[in-house]
Amino acid sequence: MDKLTKTTGIALLKKLREIRQFEERIIPLYPTDVMVTPVHLHIGQEAVPVGVCAHLTAADTIFFGHRTHGPALAKGMDMNKLMAELYGRTTGCSRSYGGSMHVVDPANGMLGSSAIVGGSIALGVGSALAAKLSGQDRIAVSYFGDGAMDSGVFWESINFAALKQVPVLFVCENNLLSNTMTQAEHLFAKPTAVVQNFMPAFSADGTDVQSVYSVVGEAIAHIRTKRQPAFVECRTKRWMKHQGVDRDDLTYNKVDPKQDDPIWKLEQGLLENSMITEAEIKQITKDIELRIDAAIEFAQNSPFPNAEDLVREV
Amino acid sequence: MPWSRIEQSHSAADSGRIISYKDAIREAIDQAMIHDPRVFVIGLDADDKFGAFGTLLDMTHPERIIGTPISENAMTGVALGAAVSGMRPLYVHLRVDFMLLTMDQIVNYVAKWRYMTQGQVKVPIVIRAVIGRGWGCGAQHSQTLSSFFTHIPGLKVVMPSTPYDAKGLLLAAIKDDYPVISIEHRWLYKNTGGVPQELYTVPLGKGRILKSGNSLTVVATSAAVIDTLNGCEKHNLDVEVIDPRTLKPLDEGMILESVAKTGRLLVVDYDYPSCGFAAEVCAMVAEKGFASLKAPVQRYTFPESSMPASGILERAYYPNPDKIAARIKEMLAEQPVLSRA
Repeated sequence: MDKLTKTTGIALLKKLREIRQFEERIIPLYPTDVMVTPVHLHIGQEAVPVGVCAHLTAADTIFFGHRTHGPALAKGMDMNKLMAELYGRTTGCSRSYGGSMHVVDPANGMLGSSAIVGGSIALGVGSALAAKLSGQDRIAVSYFGDGAMDSGVFWESINFAALKQVPVLFVCENNLLSNTMTQAEHLFAKPTAVVQNFMPAFSADGTDVQSVYSVVGEAIAHIRTKRQPAFVECRTKRWMKHQGVDRDDLTYNKVDPKQDDPIWKLEQGLLENSMITEAEIKQITKDIELRIDAAIEFAQNSPFPNAEDLVREV
Repeated sequence: MPWSRIEQSHSAADSGRIISYKDAIREAIDQAMIHDPRVFVIGLDADDKFGAFGTLLDMTHPERIIGTPISENAMTGVALGAAVSGMRPLYVHLRVDFMLLTMDQIVNYVAKWRYMTQGQVKVPIVIRAVIGRGWGCGAQHSQTLSSFFTHIPGLKVVMPSTPYDAKGLLLAAIKDDYPVISIEHRWLYKNTGGVPQELYTVPLGKGRILKSGNSLTVVATSAAVIDTLNGCEKHNLDVEVIDPRTLKPLDEGMILESVAKTGRLLVVDYDYPSCGFAAEVCAMVAEKGFASLKAPVQRYTFPESSMPASGILERAYYPNPDKIAARIKEMLAEQPVLSRA
């Protein structure tokens, strides 16, 4: 725990646990069809959104892909609004018109997410360009998985951001799997090795929130002071299948329940440094469970949309 | 919002000042950028010495004209990201054919963003595309593709035919909080007409009757409507010529009212025929104005073919005023097959 204060360490733990426990509650509910929307769970990868968003203000914008729950909660979305969106209710963040893959929360800098892999990377660059043109001191984040680096829009965005020197952070949450393909099967070169020709490129251990927090902190300091882009690759492990609520069972994707678990790692570090007690961890866990209980109740008691409101805001 | 003070006008009240279609577009963009610091222009060669066929030359705010790499798909995403972050981008394509590289961003993102967020995020983005033809431009530099965009929910599509509309529709598009595709025909750029100096908008969804007549209604857009007017004048035809100006939203009322008077409809659309704008207008009239029709509705479009290069083949491919007039005469010579109910 050489880099984290007690306050930061506990704040990060709370966010990691919020995302983990939120999604663990989805698992048993999902087969009952109360949530009729494709979900892409973040379990095991929470260190990346939490370590990134800890450095962002509400004014900083972020654009992410189909795996939304992690970055949405990490960036500050109200758990009730996210749960209600999964339940298809009008109190959801997208008023039931988006589903799990299309979440929005303008007050917290989330201006929409996309299920077409890669495309939202360009939106982060555009948002950073807007900050530059209008003289705002905020930054923008383009947040994506390693599969998105296959796309032309990724390379076009990297090139343009570097040419125009806009304040954008590219975050690659690299779980080394594109659905069931390994990275070597779909990407010829190491991404950081290529991207560093365009902008500072950093690497972090995406299973360790301390590493992500520290490396992203350095990258964002560069962006905020120099108003230039930067890239961070965070290597992590996907515990779940690409879509749905089942554990991944690919023979070449072995998950170590401790070394690949950002929550276990952070709790061990905090305990060893006497920054937290077992009892305090229990209390944090319980408090989050109560908030999730409330979120589920809120969603269940919220109204479904009216069919006559089908054609709205087209 | 500053745009709410811009006067709306869709009368053809031409001012005494005559300028070209190209200069009307240039003036609209320059005035919009002066009026609103959120307006900026982005596009391949937008900032070069040709200035997008002269529509971006000698601008008051050149620092907000941004040239881009040949990365149309990402650049559309960049424009969208800027739009949802509070700016009002104007993306220009010198050839509409290059917009096909951006269909992911236009169809999956730009068109759907407002719906998916239920208006919590506004999408004030305008995409201008120039269409051209002739001089051997061939199959990849001569398309229109307006029907492509009109097909997609969430996109408004405008095609100005006169200098007055070129300025007023572009300003209306920039003012609008929804995405608008504006398609400009290169052959109209040198045409001149009355254009007021001040800022004004032509409302989206309002057509204009360019010529009154009784025997047949022609609905045509962009260069097609100018060719139709020229054909009618040369051959002295008593037809009503409607320029819908916006393909979507479509001024259905104006078209239906005219067909109720004439009983005949020809749609002239310089685009491919299948599932196109002409088919859409014909279907709309068949659905909502069938009782008015004295004869079958007809389309006059490009052939079901890509564009050739050789001049002889080009002249066979493209409609012109004489060919349009000939088609109208054929329709008028036929005896009515449908009698009014």
